[in-house]
Amino acid sequence: MADARQLDQMFTRIMQGLVDTGRAPHYAELARAMVLGPAEGRQLLLDLMQAYPIGWLHPETDYIASFPPLNNLPTQYRVSVRGAQTWFAQCGFEATSVTWLFPGETVRVQAPCLDCGEPVVIEMRDGRLVTVEPASIVGHLNWGFGPSRGKPPFL
Amino acid sequence: MNLFRSEEHARRWTQFNPASEEGLGFIRLEDLVAFFGTESRRHMLDADYLSAWYPKRAAERRAVLERAGKTTPFWMGTPGTP
Repeated sequence: MADARQLDQMFTRIMQGLVDTGRAPHYAELARAMVLGPAEGRQLLLDLMQAYPIGWLHPETDYIASFPPLNNLPTQYRVSVRGAQTWFAQCGFEATSVTWLFPGETVRVQAPCLDCGEPVVIEMRDGRLVTVEPASIVGHLNWGFGPSRGKPPFL
Repeated sequence: MNLFRSEEHARRWTQFNPASEEGLGFIRLEDLVAFFGTESRRHMLDADYLSAWYPKRAAERRAVLERAGKTTPFWMGTPGTP
């Protein structure tokens, strides 16, 4: 396992990269920025994903699929800041945490309801809800947390 | 882990897990905001988030769930949860 300092550095570069561009950098890009070889960068990414198991790589690849609260793979939870829909949240629950990545900004999350397709919209600013449409929005945990939750890519 | 327009909409979802009804799988939006707004979450952009803040996450989540009355195995992650 890599040392904590390197893991912190890679974590921060991925999270900041997602915030800045809506996309997670590839391990080869991360490696170059950290003055590592590509193979070292790949191993560090694998170690990082073990240390941060609420995210995951796309199966059978080294591509970052999910790095919560944001997702590199598009989901129905579209996130907009300053009118630009650049990001996706990992899930409806993590969507309420994206606000902490954009301090001082209004973060809009819009998704189609999985029952009817009509929009579910929340807007948050510095952790506070400022818009909830419709007012009856609820969170739903379909599978319990823990080992029985199922495969993460299929939340 | 989804947001629905209401509980009725969730129950009509074709992939709705009946066990989630038994496990009280619904959570009020305000409780969800508290659940995902704990102190550690506010430091996700800090240079030491992974080593200093992420390890605090589990205990924080547990405390919020207890305050919200979500103490069933379904929410607490006990093995054997449906």
